[in-house]
Amino acid sequence: MPRNEGYYYAAYALSALVYVGYAVSIWWRARELDRKAR
Amino acid sequence: MFAIVALAIVATYVRAIAFTPLEAMQGAAQKIYYIHVPSAWVAFLAFFVVAVTGLLWLWLRDDRLDRIAESSAEVGVVFTTVVLVTGPLWGRPVWGTWWTWDARLTSTLFLWFVYLGYLVLRGAIEDRALRARYSAVLGALGALLIPFIHLSVYMFRTLHPLPIIGKPSRPSLPSEMLVTFFLALGTFTLMYVALLRARYRYATARDRALDALEE
Repeated sequence: MPRNEGYYYAAYALSALVYVGYAVSIWWRARELDRKAR
Repeated sequence: MFAIVALAIVATYVRAIAFTPLEAMQGAAQKIYYIHVPSAWVAFLAFFVVAVTGLLWLWLRDDRLDRIAESSAEVGVVFTTVVLVTGPLWGRPVWGTWWTWDARLTSTLFLWFVYLGYLVLRGAIEDRALRARYSAVLGALGALLIPFIHLSVYMFRTLHPLPIIGKPSRPSLPSEMLVTFFLALGTFTLMYVALLRARYRYATARDRALDALEE
């Protein structure tokens, strides 16, 4: 069986980073909007 | 809702990493499948929602539909980004190359650019009705790529494999892998709904703030 765990770890880590990063970006934009509105 | 989604994501990752067997020919790299394919399916769903809500806006002229389309396009671009990141990470150990300009990969990259262009277009037009109209047309036309991408592996010679689940015959996966796949698909669909709701709420608050400024 080929040893290629590095690619799989990288894919899981990067996908988590993209999804969490995007969720944080929505939260951040909403917070900034709320701050400006006040 | 985010707490439920977070729990589902943790459960999916644990199931895929620790409780799903390795594929004998590809080794651990095959587990990228549980991220790559559900992300692609959900990206298609997101762009389908963009097309439908855009066309409904052209008919009903309801701003809520335009906000759903805008939100779904942004979330769809994020899911497509994950497809385009995880694909080369899977391709390198299995095909021996990060990328090849074949029909499936190139058309997926093109889909990503179309909806990135959709978001840029929205940012460039201030008039809300004009923006909604142009976006609806582009969003609907962009979604025509989805069946083409799905069928591209049948229509052209590509390095990308044929579907092993989304095909007329029975899935060609052992049941343990199939359960992990459907768990991942359910989780990613739930994540899409949660992100769409959050992004829609932001778009609504932003439009209300702009309306208040104009008054």
